[in-house]
Amino acid sequence: MPSDERSEKQAAAQQAVDILHEISTILNCHLDRRTLSICISMIENGVNPEALATVVKELRKEGQEVQMQKLEAARRR
Amino acid sequence: MAYLAQLGAVTDELIAAIVPLTKTEQAKLNSYHESALRNLKYAHHFPRANQFEVEDHLNGLEERFRVVGRDALADAFKKRLDALEPHRNRWTPDILHFILELSDQPAQKSQLSD
Repeated sequence: MPSDERSEKQAAAQQAVDILHEISTILNCHLDRRTLSICISMIENGVNPEALATVVKELRKEGQEVQMQKLEAARRR
Repeated sequence: MAYLAQLGAVTDELIAAIVPLTKTEQAKLNSYHESALRNLKYAHHFPRANQFEVEDHLNGLEERFRVVGRDALADAFKKRLDALEPHRNRWTPDILHFILELSDQPAQKSQLSD
């Protein structure tokens, strides 16, 4: 693929991610651009969106617990 | 096999983006990795997103924003959905379905300033 065509496709893909990120922000999904990009790439590789959303929710819970433990440990020091 | 290796690598990226773990917390990382991968691997049995249901859900949300007096939010939402049109591909309904699954009371909580 010529490099011009490739960079045009990349720019279009970036634009699509930007729009999807804005939609996710309007819908209050608490997704940063990097996480959304990873999730889009997973879905485009055949991962089921519902299962992926469940995994994201579970990881968020784990993340909150890790944060709490770190705060607790810092407070004890 | 290559698919699973790729899925495993991208799952690690996802974990790193969401859970603030250091490299010394490898045991926790492995447990999150196994659990996430198990859920994702067996999800192929689920049907793909129904694009008509996704469209209905999106239209319903826009209407809801207007009903609760959040016209600016409804306009911003509609503008993004229209802008997405030329970028649509076969995965767009699935991606929008994923976004809808994570949506958290936007009519009450979303701020346009975000």
